[in-house]
Amino acid sequence: MTNMVNLRQVIAGILMAIPFIIYFDIPSYNKVYPTLGGLPYFYWYQTLWLAISTILFSIAAFLLAKR
Amino acid sequence: MLGLYGIITFVVLFIIFAVLGFYGAYWRRGNLDLLHEWGLAGRKLGTILVWFLMGADLYTAYTFIAVPSGLFAKGSLYFFAVPYVSLTFAIALLTMPRLWVVSRNKGYVTAADFVKDRFNSKILAALVALTGVVAELPYIALQIVGMKAVLEMMLLGIGNIALVSEISLIIAFIILAAFTFTSGLRGAALTGVFKDILIWITVISIITIVPLQYGGFSHAFSEMATKQMAIYSKLAEPLIPAYWSLFLGSALALYLYPHAINGSLSADDKNKLMYGTALLPIYGIGLAIIALFGILIYAVPNALNIVKLTHNGALVVPALIVTTMPDWAAGIMLLGIFVGGLVPAAIMAIASANLLVRNVIKEIKTDLTFKGETDLAKWISAIIKFIALAFVFLVPETYAINLQLLGGIIIAQTLPAVFLGLYTDWFNPWALTAGWATGIISGVYMFVTFGLPRATSVYPTPFGLLYVAVISLAFNLIVSTIGTLIARGLGYKTKSNISAEELKG
Repeated sequence: MTNMVNLRQVIAGILMAIPFIIYFDIPSYNKVYPTLGGLPYFYWYQTLWLAISTILFSIAAFLLAKR
Repeated sequence: MLGLYGIITFVVLFIIFAVLGFYGAYWRRGNLDLLHEWGLAGRKLGTILVWFLMGADLYTAYTFIAVPSGLFAKGSLYFFAVPYVSLTFAIALLTMPRLWVVSRNKGYVTAADFVKDRFNSKILAALVALTGVVAELPYIALQIVGMKAVLEMMLLGIGNIALVSEISLIIAFIILAAFTFTSGLRGAALTGVFKDILIWITVISIITIVPLQYGGFSHAFSEMATKQMAIYSKLAEPLIPAYWSLFLGSALALYLYPHAINGSLSADDKNKLMYGTALLPIYGIGLAIIALFGILIYAVPNALNIVKLTHNGALVVPALIVTTMPDWAAGIMLLGIFVGGLVPAAIMAIASANLLVRNVIKEIKTDLTFKGETDLAKWISAIIKFIALAFVFLVPETYAINLQLLGGIIIAQTLPAVFLGLYTDWFNPWALTAGWATGIISGVYMFVTFGLPRATSVYPTPFGLLYVAVISLAFNLIVSTIGTLIARGLGYKTKSNISAEELKG
Protein backbone atom coordinates (compact mmCIF):
# COMPACT_ATOMS: atom_id res chain seq x y z
CA MET A 1 0.00 0.00 0.00
CA THR A 2 2.86 2.34 0.87
CA ASN A 3 4.37 1.73 -2.56
CA MET A 4 1.08 2.68 -4.18
CA VAL A 5 1.02 5.99 -2.34
CA ASN A 6 4.61 6.71 -3.31
CA LEU A 7 3.95 5.91 -6.96
CA ARG A 8 1.02 8.33 -6.97
CA GLN A 9 3.21 11.02 -5.44
CA VAL A 10 5.99 10.44 -7.96
CA ILE A 11 3.61 10.69 -10.91
CA ALA A 12 2.00 13.83 -9.44
CA GLY A 13 5.47 15.34 -8.97
CA ILE A 14 6.39 14.64 -12.59
CA LEU A 15 3.12 16.16 -13.85
CA MET A 16 3.73 19.32 -11.81
CA ALA A 17 7.35 19.55 -13.01
CA ILE A 18 6.44 19.51 -16.71
CA PRO A 19 5.31 23.18 -16.92
CA PHE A 20 8.57 24.23 -15.20
CA ILE A 21 10.61 22.47 -17.90
CA ILE A 22 8.44 23.93 -20.66
CA TYR A 23 8.54 27.52 -19.43
CA PHE A 24 12.23 27.52 -18.53
CA ASP A 25 13.15 26.43 -22.04
CA ILE A 26 12.70 29.99 -23.28
CA PRO A 27 14.66 29.63 -26.57
CA SER A 28 12.18 26.93 -27.66
CA TYR A 29 9.30 29.40 -27.74
CA ASN A 30 11.00 32.78 -28.15
CA LYS A 31 10.02 33.14 -31.79
CA VAL A 32 7.42 34.87 -33.93
CA TYR A 33 6.36 32.04 -36.27
CA PRO A 34 4.05 30.18 -36.56
CA THR A 35 1.58 32.92 -35.65
CA LEU A 36 -2.00 32.27 -34.57
CA GLY A 37 -4.50 34.84 -35.86
CA GLY A 38 -1.59 37.25 -36.24
CA LEU A 39 -0.36 36.61 -32.70
CA PRO A 40 3.34 35.59 -32.40
CA TYR A 41 4.18 32.06 -31.24
CA PHE A 42 5.80 33.50 -28.08
CA TYR A 43 2.38 34.59 -26.76
CA TRP A 44 -0.01 31.89 -27.85
CA TYR A 45 2.31 29.00 -26.94
CA GLN A 46 2.69 30.24 -23.35
CA THR A 47 -1.05 30.86 -23.06
CA LEU A 48 -1.82 27.40 -24.43
CA TRP A 49 0.40 25.96 -21.70
CA LEU A 50 -1.82 27.55 -19.07
CA ALA A 51 -4.63 25.33 -20.29
CA ILE A 52 -2.32 22.29 -20.33
CA SER A 53 -1.01 23.21 -16.84
CA THR A 54 -4.58 23.20 -15.54
CA ILE A 55 -5.08 19.65 -16.84
CA LEU A 56 -1.73 18.42 -15.47
CA PHE A 57 -2.27 20.04 -12.06
CA SER A 58 -5.82 18.68 -11.85
CA ILE A 59 -4.60 15.13 -12.49
CA ALA A 60 -1.83 15.70 -9.91
CA ALA A 61 -4.38 16.96 -7.36
CA PHE A 62 -6.55 13.92 -8.08
CA LEU A 63 -3.59 11.59 -7.46
CA LEU A 64 -2.61 13.38 -4.25
CA ALA A 65 -6.17 13.65 -2.89
CA LYS A 66 -6.85 11.51 0.12
CA ARG A 67 -9.81 9.18 -0.29
CA MET B 1 -15.69 59.45 -21.06
CA LEU B 2 -18.47 57.05 -20.15
CA GLY B 3 -22.03 58.02 -21.17
CA LEU B 4 -25.05 58.31 -18.86
CA TYR B 5 -26.25 54.70 -19.35
CA GLY B 6 -22.78 53.50 -18.53
CA ILE B 7 -22.67 55.49 -15.31
CA ILE B 8 -26.13 54.23 -14.28
CA THR B 9 -25.11 50.61 -14.93
CA PHE B 10 -21.92 51.15 -12.93
CA VAL B 11 -23.78 52.62 -9.92
CA VAL B 12 -26.56 49.99 -9.91
CA LEU B 13 -24.03 47.15 -10.04
CA PHE B 14 -22.01 48.77 -7.26
CA ILE B 15 -25.14 48.76 -5.08
CA ILE B 16 -25.61 45.03 -5.78
CA PHE B 17 -21.96 44.52 -4.84
CA ALA B 18 -22.48 46.32 -1.51
CA VAL B 19 -25.66 44.35 -0.72
CA LEU B 20 -23.83 41.08 -1.37
CA GLY B 21 -21.02 42.22 0.90
CA PHE B 22 -23.35 42.90 3.82
CA TYR B 23 -25.37 39.73 3.14
CA GLY B 24 -22.13 37.76 3.71
CA ALA B 25 -22.64 38.05 7.46
CA TYR B 26 -25.75 35.84 7.20
CA TRP B 27 -24.33 33.37 4.71
CA ARG B 28 -23.26 29.98 6.17
CA ARG B 29 -23.65 31.59 9.52
CA GLY B 30 -21.01 31.30 12.18
CA ASN B 31 -19.99 33.05 15.38
CA LEU B 32 -18.31 36.12 13.95
CA ASP B 33 -16.75 36.89 17.32
CA LEU B 34 -14.14 34.19 16.60
CA LEU B 35 -11.11 35.05 14.49
CA HIS B 36 -11.27 31.97 12.24
CA GLU B 37 -15.00 32.58 11.62
CA TRP B 38 -14.52 36.24 10.74
CA GLY B 39 -11.08 36.07 9.10
CA LEU B 40 -11.24 32.63 7.43
CA ALA B 41 -15.00 32.40 6.72
CA GLY B 42 -15.15 29.55 9.26
CA ARG B 43 -12.91 27.40 6.97
CA LYS B 44 -16.04 26.41 5.05
CA LEU B 45 -15.31 27.16 1.38
CA GLY B 46 -15.60 24.32 -1.18
CA THR B 47 -13.73 23.77 -4.49
CA ILE B 48 -15.75 26.28 -6.51
CA LEU B 49 -15.74 28.99 -3.85
CA VAL B 50 -12.02 28.52 -3.25
CA TRP B 51 -11.50 28.94 -6.98
CA PHE B 52 -13.62 32.11 -7.09
CA LEU B 53 -12.16 33.58 -3.90
CA MET B 54 -8.56 32.89 -4.90
CA GLY B 55 -9.29 34.10 -8.43
CA ALA B 56 -10.69 37.34 -7.02
CA ASP B 57 -7.79 37.51 -4.58
CA LEU B 58 -4.87 36.92 -6.95
CA TYR B 59 -6.07 38.42 -10.22
CA THR B 60 -6.64 41.94 -9.00
CA ALA B 61 -7.58 45.33 -10.44
CA TYR B 62 -3.93 46.26 -10.34
CA THR B 63 -2.98 43.16 -12.34
CA PHE B 64 -5.58 43.97 -14.96
CA ILE B 65 -4.32 47.54 -15.25
CA ALA B 66 -0.56 47.08 -14.74
CA VAL B 67 0.21 44.00 -16.84
CA PRO B 68 -1.31 45.36 -20.08
CA SER B 69 0.15 48.81 -19.46
CA GLY B 70 3.57 47.19 -18.81
CA LEU B 71 3.28 45.18 -22.01
CA PHE B 72 2.21 48.33 -23.86
CA ALA B 73 5.13 50.38 -22.49
CA LYS B 74 7.97 47.86 -22.24
CA GLY B 75 6.96 45.01 -24.54
CA SER B 76 7.10 41.23 -24.32
CA LEU B 77 9.09 41.08 -21.03
CA TYR B 78 5.84 41.75 -19.15
CA PHE B 79 4.38 38.52 -20.47
CA PHE B 80 6.35 36.84 -17.66
CA ALA B 81 3.02 37.12 -15.82
CA VAL B 82 1.80 34.10 -17.82
CA PRO B 83 4.42 31.46 -16.87
CA TYR B 84 4.22 32.93 -13.38
CA VAL B 85 0.51 32.13 -13.02
CA SER B 86 1.10 28.56 -14.16
CA LEU B 87 4.08 27.75 -11.93
CA THR B 88 2.80 29.50 -8.82
CA PHE B 89 -0.08 27.02 -8.56
CA ALA B 90 2.29 24.04 -8.71
CA ILE B 91 4.13 25.61 -5.78
CA ALA B 92 0.80 26.22 -4.05
CA LEU B 93 -0.15 22.54 -4.51
CA LEU B 94 3.09 21.51 -2.81
CA THR B 95 2.70 23.85 0.15
CA MET B 96 -0.85 25.03 0.86
CA PRO B 97 -2.49 21.62 1.51
CA ARG B 98 0.19 20.86 4.13
CA LEU B 99 -0.26 24.27 5.72
CA TRP B 100 -4.03 23.78 5.65
CA VAL B 101 -3.78 20.43 7.46
CA VAL B 102 -1.50 21.64 10.23
CA SER B 103 -3.56 24.82 10.63
CA ARG B 104 -6.77 22.82 10.98
CA ASN B 105 -5.13 20.48 13.51
CA LYS B 106 -3.55 23.23 15.58
CA GLY B 107 -6.04 26.10 15.07
CA TYR B 108 -3.64 28.37 13.17
CA VAL B 109 -4.98 31.44 11.37
CA THR B 110 -1.70 32.71 9.86
CA ALA B 111 1.58 31.36 8.45
CA ALA B 112 3.39 33.01 11.36
CA ASP B 113 1.31 30.90 13.80
CA PHE B 114 2.85 27.87 12.09
CA VAL B 115 6.41 29.24 12.10
CA LYS B 116 6.17 30.00 15.82
CA ASP B 117 5.37 26.36 16.70
CA ARG B 118 7.51 24.76 14.04
CA PHE B 119 10.75 26.46 15.04
CA ASN B 120 9.80 27.31 18.60
CA SER B 121 10.56 30.98 18.00
CA LYS B 122 8.26 33.90 18.69
CA ILE B 123 10.77 36.30 17.21
CA LEU B 124 10.97 34.50 13.86
CA ALA B 125 7.15 34.35 13.84
CA ALA B 126 6.83 38.07 14.52
CA LEU B 127 9.35 38.84 11.76
CA VAL B 128 7.40 36.68 9.30
CA ALA B 129 4.20 38.49 10.35
CA LEU B 130 5.67 41.97 10.04
CA THR B 131 7.24 41.15 6.66
CA GLY B 132 3.80 40.08 5.49
CA VAL B 133 2.12 43.27 6.68
CA VAL B 134 4.81 45.54 5.21
CA ALA B 135 4.68 43.76 1.86
CA GLU B 136 0.89 43.82 1.83
CA LEU B 137 0.28 47.54 2.45
CA PRO B 138 1.62 48.84 -0.89
CA TYR B 139 -0.27 46.01 -2.60
CA ILE B 140 -3.50 47.42 -1.14
CA ALA B 141 -2.44 50.90 -2.23
CA LEU B 142 -1.95 49.63 -5.78
CA GLN B 143 -5.49 48.30 -5.91
CA ILE B 144 -6.54 51.90 -5.37
CA VAL B 145 -4.21 53.02 -8.17
CA GLY B 146 -5.97 50.52 -10.45
CA MET B 147 -9.40 51.75 -9.36
CA LYS B 148 -8.34 55.34 -10.01
CA ALA B 149 -7.52 54.44 -13.61
CA VAL B 150 -11.10 53.20 -14.04
CA LEU B 151 -12.56 56.39 -12.56
CA GLU B 152 -10.26 58.58 -14.63
CA MET B 153 -11.51 56.92 -17.82
CA MET B 154 -15.16 57.26 -16.74
CA LEU B 155 -14.77 60.92 -15.92
CA LEU B 156 -12.43 61.93 -18.75
CA GLY B 157 -13.39 65.38 -20.01
CA ILE B 158 -15.20 66.69 -16.93
CA GLY B 159 -13.63 69.57 -15.01
CA ASN B 160 -12.56 68.23 -11.67
CA ILE B 161 -11.55 64.59 -12.15
CA ALA B 162 -9.24 64.42 -9.13
CA LEU B 163 -11.84 65.62 -6.62
CA VAL B 164 -14.71 63.52 -8.00
CA SER B 165 -12.60 60.37 -8.15
CA GLU B 166 -11.24 60.87 -4.63
CA ILE B 167 -14.75 61.32 -3.23
CA SER B 168 -15.91 58.21 -5.11
CA LEU B 169 -13.01 56.20 -3.71
CA ILE B 170 -13.69 57.37 -0.16
CA ILE B 171 -17.36 56.35 -0.45
CA ALA B 172 -16.39 52.97 -1.94
CA PHE B 173 -13.90 52.36 0.87
CA ILE B 174 -16.32 53.32 3.63
CA ILE B 175 -18.80 50.76 2.27
CA LEU B 176 -16.03 48.18 1.89
CA ALA B 177 -14.73 48.76 5.40
CA ALA B 178 -18.26 48.54 6.81
CA PHE B 179 -19.11 45.19 5.26
CA THR B 180 -15.67 43.74 5.93
CA PHE B 181 -16.21 44.68 9.55
CA THR B 182 -19.56 42.93 9.77
CA SER B 183 -19.10 40.01 7.31
CA GLY B 184 -15.35 39.34 7.31
CA LEU B 185 -14.04 36.93 4.68
CA ARG B 186 -17.59 35.74 3.92
CA GLY B 187 -18.35 39.15 2.39
CA ALA B 188 -15.17 38.97 0.32
CA ALA B 189 -16.02 35.46 -0.92
CA LEU B 190 -19.53 36.43 -2.10
CA THR B 191 -18.45 39.67 -3.74
CA GLY B 192 -15.50 37.78 -5.23
CA VAL B 193 -17.87 35.53 -7.20
CA PHE B 194 -19.70 38.63 -8.46
CA LYS B 195 -16.42 40.30 -9.47
CA ASP B 196 -15.08 37.22 -11.25
CA ILE B 197 -18.24 36.89 -13.36
CA LEU B 198 -17.99 40.53 -14.48
CA ILE B 199 -14.29 40.16 -15.31
CA TRP B 200 -14.95 37.07 -17.43
CA ILE B 201 -17.72 38.90 -19.32
CA THR B 202 -15.21 41.68 -20.03
CA VAL B 203 -12.41 39.42 -21.22
CA ILE B 204 -14.58 37.32 -23.50
CA SER B 205 -16.45 40.28 -25.02
CA ILE B 206 -13.35 42.29 -25.85
CA ILE B 207 -11.35 39.40 -27.28
CA THR B 208 -14.30 38.54 -29.56
CA ILE B 209 -15.52 41.99 -30.52
CA VAL B 210 -12.25 43.86 -31.10
CA PRO B 211 -10.80 41.37 -33.64
CA LEU B 212 -14.19 41.17 -35.42
CA GLN B 213 -14.76 44.91 -35.66
CA TYR B 214 -11.27 46.36 -35.79
CA GLY B 215 -9.14 43.51 -37.08
CA GLY B 216 -7.06 41.37 -34.76
CA PHE B 217 -3.40 41.11 -33.92
CA SER B 218 -2.25 41.16 -37.56
CA HIS B 219 -3.86 44.56 -37.89
CA ALA B 220 -2.41 45.73 -34.55
CA PHE B 221 1.11 44.72 -35.62
CA SER B 222 0.69 46.32 -39.04
CA GLU B 223 -0.07 49.67 -37.34
CA MET B 224 3.21 49.66 -35.42
CA ALA B 225 6.52 51.22 -36.35
CA THR B 226 9.42 48.77 -36.88
CA LYS B 227 10.96 49.71 -33.53
CA GLN B 228 7.73 48.88 -31.65
CA MET B 229 7.33 45.66 -33.59
CA ALA B 230 10.73 44.54 -32.29
CA ILE B 231 9.85 44.91 -28.58
CA TYR B 232 6.43 43.28 -28.99
CA SER B 233 7.01 40.39 -31.39
CA LYS B 234 9.26 38.35 -29.08
CA LEU B 235 11.75 38.60 -26.21
CA ALA B 236 15.10 40.34 -26.81
CA GLU B 237 17.98 37.92 -26.14
CA PRO B 238 19.56 39.89 -23.20
CA LEU B 239 16.21 39.88 -21.35
CA ILE B 240 15.99 36.09 -21.09
CA PRO B 241 17.56 35.89 -17.58
CA ALA B 242 15.26 38.70 -16.42
CA TYR B 243 12.27 36.83 -17.88
CA TRP B 244 12.83 33.50 -16.13
CA SER B 245 13.94 35.03 -12.83
CA LEU B 246 10.88 37.30 -12.79
CA PHE B 247 8.45 34.46 -13.33
CA LEU B 248 10.29 32.15 -10.92
CA GLY B 249 10.62 34.77 -8.16
CA SER B 250 7.02 35.91 -8.51
CA ALA B 251 5.78 32.32 -8.53
CA LEU B 252 7.71 31.56 -5.33
CA ALA B 253 6.54 34.77 -3.64
CA LEU B 254 2.80 34.75 -4.37
CA TYR B 255 1.77 32.12 -1.85
CA LEU B 256 3.88 33.76 0.84
CA TYR B 257 1.67 36.86 0.68
CA PRO B 258 -0.78 36.92 3.59
CA HIS B 259 -3.85 37.25 1.33
CA ALA B 260 -2.95 34.10 -0.62
CA ILE B 261 -2.35 32.08 2.54
CA ASN B 262 -5.49 33.48 4.16
CA GLY B 263 -7.58 32.48 1.13
CA SER B 264 -6.10 28.96 1.10
CA LEU B 265 -6.75 28.41 4.81
CA SER B 266 -10.43 29.28 4.34
CA ALA B 267 -10.99 26.04 2.37
CA ASP B 268 -13.38 23.48 3.79
CA ASP B 269 -11.09 20.51 3.24
CA LYS B 270 -7.70 19.61 1.89
CA ASN B 271 -8.95 17.93 -1.28
CA LYS B 272 -11.23 20.85 -2.14
CA LEU B 273 -8.30 23.23 -1.65
CA MET B 274 -6.17 21.12 -4.01
CA TYR B 275 -8.82 20.97 -6.74
CA GLY B 276 -9.60 24.68 -6.43
CA THR B 277 -5.89 25.51 -6.66
CA ALA B 278 -5.19 23.14 -9.57
CA LEU B 279 -7.92 24.88 -11.60
CA LEU B 280 -6.60 28.41 -11.03
CA PRO B 281 -4.33 28.58 -14.14
CA ILE B 282 -7.61 28.77 -16.13
CA TYR B 283 -8.04 32.23 -14.68
CA GLY B 284 -4.55 33.00 -15.98
CA ILE B 285 -5.85 32.56 -19.54
CA GLY B 286 -8.07 35.59 -18.85
CA LEU B 287 -5.04 37.45 -17.56
CA ALA B 288 -3.01 36.48 -20.66
CA ILE B 289 -5.77 37.84 -22.91
CA ILE B 290 -6.01 41.07 -20.92
CA ALA B 291 -2.20 41.41 -21.06
CA LEU B 292 -2.42 41.16 -24.85
CA PHE B 293 -4.79 44.15 -24.87
CA GLY B 294 -1.51 46.09 -24.51
CA ILE B 295 -0.81 45.04 -28.12
CA LEU B 296 -4.38 44.88 -29.38
CA ILE B 297 -4.87 48.57 -28.58
CA TYR B 298 -2.82 49.39 -31.70
CA ALA B 299 -5.76 48.12 -33.75
CA VAL B 300 -8.13 50.66 -32.15
CA PRO B 301 -6.94 54.20 -33.03
CA ASN B 302 -9.44 55.96 -30.69
CA ALA B 303 -8.27 54.01 -27.67
CA LEU B 304 -4.62 54.48 -28.59
CA ASN B 305 -5.17 58.24 -28.88
CA ILE B 306 -6.65 58.43 -25.37
CA VAL B 307 -3.58 56.68 -23.91
CA LYS B 308 -1.23 58.92 -25.89
CA LEU B 309 -3.04 62.18 -25.08
CA THR B 310 -3.29 61.47 -21.35
CA HIS B 311 0.26 59.99 -21.22
CA ASN B 312 -1.25 57.35 -18.96
CA GLY B 313 -0.42 53.74 -19.80
CA ALA B 314 -2.77 52.62 -17.03
CA LEU B 315 -5.67 53.56 -19.30
CA VAL B 316 -4.96 50.83 -21.91
CA VAL B 317 -7.74 48.50 -20.77
CA PRO B 318 -10.28 51.15 -19.64
CA ALA B 319 -9.78 53.04 -22.93
CA LEU B 320 -10.28 49.87 -24.98
CA ILE B 321 -13.46 49.14 -23.07
CA VAL B 322 -14.97 52.60 -23.47
CA THR B 323 -14.08 53.02 -27.14
CA THR B 324 -15.21 49.59 -28.34
CA MET B 325 -18.26 48.82 -26.19
CA PRO B 326 -21.75 50.35 -25.93
CA ASP B 327 -22.12 52.49 -22.80
CA TRP B 328 -24.10 50.00 -20.73
CA ALA B 329 -21.62 47.19 -21.45
CA ALA B 330 -18.67 49.46 -20.70
CA GLY B 331 -20.34 50.28 -17.36
CA ILE B 332 -20.48 46.58 -16.46
CA MET B 333 -16.85 46.02 -17.42
CA LEU B 334 -15.41 49.08 -15.70
CA LEU B 335 -17.27 48.11 -12.54
CA GLY B 336 -15.77 44.62 -12.84
CA ILE B 337 -12.26 46.10 -12.68
CA PHE B 338 -13.27 48.59 -9.99
CA VAL B 339 -14.59 45.94 -7.60
CA GLY B 340 -11.64 43.84 -8.76
CA GLY B 341 -9.67 46.27 -6.62
CA LEU B 342 -12.04 46.31 -3.67
CA VAL B 343 -12.32 42.54 -3.11
CA PRO B 344 -8.58 41.83 -2.86
CA ALA B 345 -8.10 45.01 -0.81
CA ALA B 346 -10.58 43.58 1.69
CA ILE B 347 -8.84 40.18 1.83
CA MET B 348 -5.40 41.77 2.11
CA ALA B 349 -6.55 43.98 4.97
CA ILE B 350 -8.16 41.00 6.76
CA ALA B 351 -5.00 38.92 6.36
CA SER B 352 -2.75 41.74 7.59
CA ALA B 353 -5.01 42.35 10.57
CA ASN B 354 -4.93 38.63 11.47
CA LEU B 355 -1.12 38.71 11.44
CA LEU B 356 -0.82 41.88 13.50
CA VAL B 357 -3.27 40.69 16.13
CA ARG B 358 -2.21 37.04 16.34
CA ASN B 359 1.55 37.27 15.97
CA VAL B 360 2.52 40.71 17.20
CA ILE B 361 -0.06 42.24 19.55
CA LYS B 362 -1.10 38.97 21.24
CA GLU B 363 2.56 38.17 21.95
CA ILE B 364 2.83 41.41 23.89
CA LYS B 365 -0.66 41.52 25.40
CA THR B 366 -1.09 37.86 26.31
CA ASP B 367 -4.45 38.20 28.13
CA LEU B 368 -6.39 38.96 24.92
CA THR B 369 -9.68 36.97 24.76
CA PHE B 370 -11.00 35.31 21.58
CA LYS B 371 -13.59 38.06 21.20
CA GLY B 372 -11.00 40.70 22.05
CA GLU B 373 -8.61 39.55 19.32
CA THR B 374 -11.43 39.40 16.75
CA ASP B 375 -12.71 42.89 17.61
CA LEU B 376 -9.20 44.23 17.34
CA ALA B 377 -8.66 42.54 13.96
CA LYS B 378 -11.91 44.07 12.66
CA TRP B 379 -10.79 47.57 13.60
CA ILE B 380 -7.25 47.09 12.31
CA SER B 381 -8.50 45.80 8.97
CA ALA B 382 -10.60 48.97 8.61
CA ILE B 383 -7.73 51.25 9.61
CA ILE B 384 -5.32 49.56 7.16
CA LYS B 385 -7.67 50.32 4.26
CA PHE B 386 -7.76 53.99 5.07
CA ILE B 387 -3.99 54.18 5.56
CA ALA B 388 -3.61 52.76 2.04
CA LEU B 389 -6.17 55.25 0.72
CA ALA B 390 -4.43 58.19 2.39
CA PHE B 391 -1.12 56.96 0.99
CA VAL B 392 -2.42 57.01 -2.57
CA PHE B 393 -3.96 60.47 -2.12
CA LEU B 394 -0.91 62.03 -0.52
CA VAL B 395 2.12 60.68 -2.37
CA PRO B 396 2.78 60.21 -6.11
CA GLU B 397 1.60 56.89 -7.57
CA THR B 398 5.15 55.89 -8.48
CA TYR B 399 5.93 55.53 -4.75
CA ALA B 400 3.22 52.91 -4.35
CA ILE B 401 4.44 51.09 -7.45
CA ASN B 402 8.07 51.07 -6.25
CA LEU B 403 7.07 49.95 -2.77
CA GLN B 404 5.10 47.09 -4.24
CA LEU B 405 8.15 45.96 -6.23
CA LEU B 406 10.08 46.05 -2.96
CA GLY B 407 7.23 44.15 -1.26
CA GLY B 408 7.72 41.22 -3.65
CA ILE B 409 11.43 41.15 -2.79
CA ILE B 410 10.96 41.14 0.98
CA ILE B 411 8.05 38.69 1.13
CA ALA B 412 10.21 36.13 -0.71
CA GLN B 413 12.55 36.16 2.29
CA THR B 414 9.97 34.31 4.40
CA LEU B 415 10.18 31.28 2.07
CA PRO B 416 12.72 29.22 4.08
CA ALA B 417 10.74 29.53 7.33
CA VAL B 418 7.30 28.95 5.81
CA PHE B 419 7.66 26.68 2.75
CA LEU B 420 10.75 24.71 3.77
CA GLY B 421 9.38 24.58 7.31
CA LEU B 422 6.42 22.62 5.97
CA TYR B 423 8.78 19.86 4.88
CA THR B 424 11.54 19.90 7.50
CA ASP B 425 12.37 21.16 10.97
CA TRP B 426 16.10 20.77 10.22
CA PHE B 427 16.69 24.54 10.13
CA ASN B 428 17.74 26.43 13.24
CA PRO B 429 15.45 29.40 14.08
CA TRP B 430 18.36 31.79 14.63
CA ALA B 431 19.96 30.73 11.36
CA LEU B 432 16.62 31.37 9.62
CA THR B 433 16.44 34.78 11.30
CA ALA B 434 19.96 35.60 10.10
CA GLY B 435 19.07 34.37 6.60
CA TRP B 436 15.93 36.50 6.62
CA ALA B 437 17.97 39.57 7.62
CA THR B 438 20.58 38.87 4.93
CA GLY B 439 17.85 38.52 2.30
CA ILE B 440 16.06 41.71 3.36
CA ILE B 441 19.21 43.82 3.60
CA SER B 442 20.73 42.61 0.32
CA GLY B 443 17.36 42.89 -1.43
CA VAL B 444 16.73 46.43 -0.23
CA TYR B 445 20.31 47.40 -1.12
CA MET B 446 20.08 46.06 -4.67
CA PHE B 447 16.65 47.63 -5.15
CA VAL B 448 17.61 51.06 -3.84
CA THR B 449 20.91 51.28 -5.70
CA PHE B 450 19.74 49.97 -9.09
CA GLY B 451 16.03 49.30 -9.32
CA LEU B 452 14.56 52.42 -7.72
CA PRO B 453 16.02 55.02 -10.13
CA ARG B 454 14.93 52.84 -13.07
CA ALA B 455 11.55 51.69 -11.69
CA THR B 456 12.55 48.05 -12.09
CA SER B 457 13.12 45.10 -9.77
CA VAL B 458 16.00 43.46 -11.65
CA TYR B 459 19.72 43.78 -10.94
CA PRO B 460 22.76 43.28 -13.21
CA THR B 461 24.75 40.12 -12.40
CA PRO B 462 27.38 38.05 -14.23
CA PHE B 463 24.42 35.93 -15.42
CA GLY B 464 22.59 38.94 -16.86
CA LEU B 465 19.74 40.97 -15.38
CA LEU B 466 18.08 38.96 -12.60
CA TYR B 467 15.05 39.59 -10.39
CA VAL B 468 16.31 40.86 -7.03
CA ALA B 469 13.92 38.60 -5.08
CA VAL B 470 15.66 35.52 -6.54
CA ILE B 471 19.19 36.81 -5.85
CA SER B 472 18.47 37.82 -2.26
CA LEU B 473 16.58 34.57 -1.62
CA ALA B 474 19.71 32.69 -2.73
CA PHE B 475 21.78 34.65 -0.15
CA ASN B 476 19.09 33.98 2.44
CA LEU B 477 19.17 30.21 1.80
CA ILE B 478 22.98 30.10 1.95
CA VAL B 479 23.06 31.90 5.33
CA SER B 480 20.16 29.82 6.71
CA THR B 481 21.93 26.59 5.71
CA ILE B 482 25.42 27.51 6.93
CA GLY B 483 24.00 28.94 10.16
CA THR B 484 22.05 25.74 10.79
CA LEU B 485 25.12 23.58 10.11
CA ILE B 486 27.09 25.61 12.68
CA ALA B 487 24.26 25.50 15.25
CA ARG B 488 23.87 21.74 14.82
CA GLY B 489 27.64 21.30 14.98
CA LEU B 490 27.53 23.04 18.34
CA GLY B 491 24.76 20.68 19.45
CA TYR B 492 21.68 22.92 19.12
CA LYS B 493 18.66 21.13 17.71
CA THR B 494 15.29 22.65 16.83
CA LYS B 495 12.52 21.73 19.25
CA SER B 496 9.49 21.59 16.97
CA ASN B 497 6.11 21.76 18.71
CA ILE B 498 4.49 20.02 15.77
CA SER B 499 4.45 16.25 15.38
CA ALA B 500 4.75 14.46 12.05
CA GLU B 501 1.13 13.26 12.37
CA GLU B 502 -0.13 16.82 12.78
CA LEU B 503 1.38 17.69 9.39
CA LYS B 504 -0.05 14.70 7.56
CA GLY B 505 -3.46 14.09 9.15
